[in-house]
Amino acid sequence: MIYLDNAATTKPLEKALEAAEVYLKEEYFNPSALYLVGLKVKESEQNAKKTILSRFPLGYDLIFTSCGSEADNTAIFSFCKRGNAVTTLGEHSAVYECFNKLKISGYDARFAKLNKDGSVNEESLLSLVDENTVFVSIVHVNNETGAVNDIDRLAEVVKKKNPSVIFHSDGVQAFGKIPEKISSKIDLYSISAHKINGVKGIGALVKKKGVNISPLIYGGGQEDGLRSGTENVFGIISFSVATEECFKEIESNYLKVDRVKRKFKEIVSVDGVRFFAENSSPYILSFSAVGLRGEVIQHMMEDYGVIIGTGSACSSKKRHSRILFCSGFDNKTLDGALRVSFSRFTTEEEAIFAAEKLKECILRLKGVMRV
Amino acid sequence: MKKIIIIRVCEIFLKGKNRFYFLKLLEDHIEMALSPYSHELEKSQMRYIVTNFSDGDFDKIIGALKKVSGIHTLSPGYSVESDVDKISDCAVKAMEEKRGFFKVETNRADKRFPLHSVELSAKVGGDILSAYPNVFTVKVKNPELVLNIDIRENGVTLIYTDVIKGMGGIPIGSSGHGFLMLSGGIDSPVAGYMMCKRGMRLSGVHFHSYPYTGEAAKQKVIELAENLSQYSCGMKLYIVKFTEIQEAIHKFCSEEFMITMMRRFMMRITERLALKFGGQAIITGESLGQVASQTVESITSSNSVVKMPVFRPLIAFDKLDTIEIAQKIGTYDTSILPYEDCCTVFLPKYPVIKPKMEKVLKEESKLDVEGLIENALNQIEVVEA
Repeated sequence: MIYLDNAATTKPLEKALEAAEVYLKEEYFNPSALYLVGLKVKESEQNAKKTILSRFPLGYDLIFTSCGSEADNTAIFSFCKRGNAVTTLGEHSAVYECFNKLKISGYDARFAKLNKDGSVNEESLLSLVDENTVFVSIVHVNNETGAVNDIDRLAEVVKKKNPSVIFHSDGVQAFGKIPEKISSKIDLYSISAHKINGVKGIGALVKKKGVNISPLIYGGGQEDGLRSGTENVFGIISFSVATEECFKEIESNYLKVDRVKRKFKEIVSVDGVRFFAENSSPYILSFSAVGLRGEVIQHMMEDYGVIIGTGSACSSKKRHSRILFCSGFDNKTLDGALRVSFSRFTTEEEAIFAAEKLKECILRLKGVMRV
Repeated sequence: MKKIIIIRVCEIFLKGKNRFYFLKLLEDHIEMALSPYSHELEKSQMRYIVTNFSDGDFDKIIGALKKVSGIHTLSPGYSVESDVDKISDCAVKAMEEKRGFFKVETNRADKRFPLHSVELSAKVGGDILSAYPNVFTVKVKNPELVLNIDIRENGVTLIYTDVIKGMGGIPIGSSGHGFLMLSGGIDSPVAGYMMCKRGMRLSGVHFHSYPYTGEAAKQKVIELAENLSQYSCGMKLYIVKFTEIQEAIHKFCSEEFMITMMRRFMMRITERLALKFGGQAIITGESLGQVASQTVESITSSNSVVKMPVFRPLIAFDKLDTIEIAQKIGTYDTSILPYEDCCTVFLPKYPVIKPKMEKVLKEESKLDVEGLIENALNQIEVVEA
């Protein structure tokens, strides 16, 4: 099987599983307990935290959450209580639906428009930020189109307009993939383990020290009282190993995946295929076989043992992609939407095979649908 | 005093000589619906009474009974010994969470009971007013709430206020066995439900055309069948591999006849399955004029390939009426899941709306109809929903 839906989830690293397994089988003690074996687990957890934080500038801390969505929710509901908050129409549903919920309950939640590639339109963004804005959330790498928002610069211009704004970014598709470190202009940053070959069930909200968030979950006071619930030590250890591994050669991986993507793109560039974002993350290639049906192509590819996506797996119960719709594409383009997402382990041979098959499927379906 | 649920049956079918046959079917279905919950079912004249169930199962029992065809109404209430004071205490308890304009209505079947109906109603009404001061007002004409007291001949009195509408219709199994063409859309599950209501047991037939439709679309149809299965007292779903037929039509026939041809194949295959597995009718969710394949000419074309009766309970329904029922029976949310269905990919730009029979036959003569049907019938997947 050739798996090319790595933006949905990734295969856990053997090394991450091995390291984490110890904490399921042997070191299963509660890290909040006061006996020695518990304290040792606590120490491992703290080391894991340090490993992840080493990928951020000094002066940051993090709380572990159950997933990226929980990190987003925690950030948003900590601050969106007064004034207004601004996000974009191109957010992952974990941010978008929180803003929708706030809007329905009467809060002044604002949505900035998108450019054609799914990145935020800066003019629209700045027109929404005013002196009452308390919170801005902008996705780092768009999960559907792969468009990269220059969040450092956006944070700078937003804070120039209103210095008191708390700037959050969902970095789930960027962390461990985009080599540049975020700058200290970013106050809050959501990340998730299973997008970088860790396990599912663990994420984190990275926060600048001094930025005070409030908990979504109350209880035993774990994570400095900001996220109660017994720590998912197994997940945390896997997260830290996965982080270490993906940062080892992050630059060369970036270039390698970029070559793979270019090759893939070159092969599937047939008549009627429309790419959504020209300058996007090398890990995501988003395009439409215009007039055809993305889901049908997905099934045809499955018969060749190639797994690709039709958009965000988190929104597969909705007919069309909200993000692509908001980027201004027509129904025929939305019907044929596909997302191919690579990992650093995807080889050029795999990409060539998959792209050739994809081209074949597109041409075959074109014959059936008489496009 | 114990909690009960009174089940009243639709009375129309009770008048003939077949009464016991119908009642037996109804009783079987009630027992089947209640089988996951501990309970006792008492039979009394023209109605059933569910007793000895656990409080925690109450909502689920009501939900299950609402899916039994032949039940007219349901009333949750209490049964109590036929003693004036006990009846009054129980009535006060039954009104605990109510308020507003009310009246008490007594039905005294047991003529040995010491108070007359009017006397008992007056006493109980008075007791309720004094138990909950400033909560109730008596209103004999058009009250908001009626407390019913039913003094039965066996020394037991039933007390209830609410009357919940049941599914209506006649008991399942009393009208034979129909084969429902289940597409995954909004209409066909509603058509199946309507036929269940008229006592027809269902089997489902679904046409699946991988890779043009996916596993998720198949799962969606299985989910719909599972829902209908509750009304039908169990249901088998026959999944037909349709890809070869669609591709053959696409290859050999004129584009505009694609859907007409598909419908004719679907009808033939459904009839063959019905004949093989004991079905007596075909059921479809067609509604006149809704789409190109549902004009009178298109229906004539697809109907002409089968001899079995074809029931189309939604033929005169507006889409909104169908949606309303789909929401009521809980199939709507599943039906609108956006997976590809077997027609979208092959949908011609300009489908023929009024197909002429000679043209249809000419197009069909380009295909090995029997061979294709044989192949499809040899690859049936059966799911017990």
